[in-house]
Amino acid sequence: MFYAKFKKWIAGAELALAVVFAPILIAQGKKMIQVKGSDTMVNLVQILAEEYMAKNPKAAPIAVLGGGSGTGITALINGTCDIANHSRDFSTKEFNQAWERGVKPRVFAIAVDGLSIIVNEKNPLNQLAMDQVGAIYRGDVKNWRAVGGPAMPISLYGRQSNSGTYAFLQEHVLKNKNYSPDVKEMNGSAQIVEGVIADAAAIGYVGVGYVIDQATGKPLKGLKILNISKDEKSPAASPLDKDAVETGKYPIARALWQSTNGKPGAEAATFLQFELGPEGQKIVEREGFYSIGAKYIEANMKNFK
Amino acid sequence: MKTGKITRAALFAALAMLTTSGLFAQTTTPPPQTFSATVYLDYSFWATNNGYITNTDPKVNANPMTNKFAFRRAYFTYENKISADLKFRFRFDADNTGNLTSTSGGKDDKLRPFMKHLYLDWAGLLPNSSLKIGMTETLAFKIAEDRWGLRSVAKTLVDGYNDITGAGVRVSSADIGVNLTGAISKELRYGAMVMNGEGYSHPELNKYKKFGGYLQVVPVPGLNVWGYAEYEKLSDKPEAAKMYKVDVYFDMIANLNITGEWFTYNSDQKYNKIQQDDGSGNFVTINKHFNSGGYSIFGTYKIIPDTLQVFARYDGYQPDSTNGAKNLSLIIAGADWTPIQSSWKIQPHVWFYNYKSSAKKSDVIVNVTFFLSF
Repeated sequence: MFYAKFKKWIAGAELALAVVFAPILIAQGKKMIQVKGSDTMVNLVQILAEEYMAKNPKAAPIAVLGGGSGTGITALINGTCDIANHSRDFSTKEFNQAWERGVKPRVFAIAVDGLSIIVNEKNPLNQLAMDQVGAIYRGDVKNWRAVGGPAMPISLYGRQSNSGTYAFLQEHVLKNKNYSPDVKEMNGSAQIVEGVIADAAAIGYVGVGYVIDQATGKPLKGLKILNISKDEKSPAASPLDKDAVETGKYPIARALWQSTNGKPGAEAATFLQFELGPEGQKIVEREGFYSIGAKYIEANMKNFK
Repeated sequence: MKTGKITRAALFAALAMLTTSGLFAQTTTPPPQTFSATVYLDYSFWATNNGYITNTDPKVNANPMTNKFAFRRAYFTYENKISADLKFRFRFDADNTGNLTSTSGGKDDKLRPFMKHLYLDWAGLLPNSSLKIGMTETLAFKIAEDRWGLRSVAKTLVDGYNDITGAGVRVSSADIGVNLTGAISKELRYGAMVMNGEGYSHPELNKYKKFGGYLQVVPVPGLNVWGYAEYEKLSDKPEAAKMYKVDVYFDMIANLNITGEWFTYNSDQKYNKIQQDDGSGNFVTINKHFNSGGYSIFGTYKIIPDTLQVFARYDGYQPDSTNGAKNLSLIIAGADWTPIQSSWKIQPHVWFYNYKSSAKKSDVIVNVTFFLSF
């Protein structure tokens, strides 16, 4: 009786081991660095990755995916990416989830962005105050005439709620109020730019890297980038003015972040060091964003230790 | 009587708070509405032929089988993110009425849809909180189910053995009522609920409500401890059901997580009638109460994140604390493979039941689950 039962235990254990270990033997893939998250950052990081891989052909390959800052942060918490791109901070809920899952984020600023408020080039308006931008996106102001523009209804373009840019604007410009139900939620920054170029009554928001034509170094044809002021009494500044972005005169500037779970592994660290070094920062500037300043460099270096 | 009054007062206060807080007056973003379906399709093969479940002897089992395809679950879910802090969920579930022990072969063992979730989820009552109102998942199962993460493979400990043991543990995965979960700090979280206690299969059948709650402590990143308790008065007699549960979740090594769960359940309506000497040599029949309980240890290891993980689990289950012969154990081991994209997975897994009673032979069942979600 005991022997028969013992034999069944052995048979069961054998089956279990076969089921568990067969896939391990099958899975012998080459390690790839997975980068996920912010759509504002996806093009920039893709180019950084391509140039890094071209210079380091023996380094681990890098896959860069978008999906939004929320998607990237969730992937980092779930252990399904090595580096999360995010254009906003971790929320309290995300930070708590990370703590629960044993994830200790190390956050690196890789670029600075002047979040750009864009309109169609036919719109005669040149500047807005932050409060006016907030009122427009909350739906409190519905006609351009109310903010000194032409008499036509405002057509709102924005991102989906998993976007870091959506969350950043909501927190810093809409003062944590909800967006108007009339916002057309686009899949990415490039779609917002396309929408604004095609719509004379449009307003949109995108990272500064999306508004410049790389060939001419000028704003994309059909687009106007508004100057923004802190309030209606302050001078307005352009997101294309690097000094204004760095000094805070341009009021809706932000850092673009990458996070790793704890101290980055050797391969991720090498890629991060390339991004943060002179070559990487040159690419950042070339792609229309701004290189990081001294305060970020110091904090970044601490995170490698 | 007093409990009933308190319950009614609490429910009224919650409703009053909601209707006066401006909750329904907020400007909302366009509702991102989603429809989704999730299906678990099993192929199961009996690797034993004389087990308690897998007996293929026609003298023992009128409808013996050695293998089968079965849709174990099919969910259809509508979700609407009404605003940044307000969500609505409507979920149909179709449950296979013919579980492992039911081999009736009747014409009516159909997959039937029934309401599983129907609730509003509001994140605005307290900072970092979620208040669910309606038919919601219960806190009793959610902790372990979220850690296990493989509902397509198996239910978790408290949920998994009522059918096979008839233990009568009166705990359901969903119920009608209100539950509040949240975080006080990253180290301390909480959950509390008040519900009918009848689960999702019945309307309220008595005037009493079920109360439950947990505290979750996360002293260091990746180490979680939950203490959970629930109480339900069952009748006008001094009868109640109580459950206590402890879960420990360890996620401190890359790609590996391990969870342990222990619970004990006691109901004043659960007892065995036994003959006992009254001290004078006369035997009298008395009601001897018993507890049900058990423990479970499970873990997953990600070999290729997003693509391949392996898992293993051991459950020890005690349906009747006064009769050890009813005890059983279950080992589950398998893999969770996402060959192309996350909308479908292939999950081969083996179940090995072992019974304390020598009258019940062990069962070994090999399954391949096709997980579809779209």
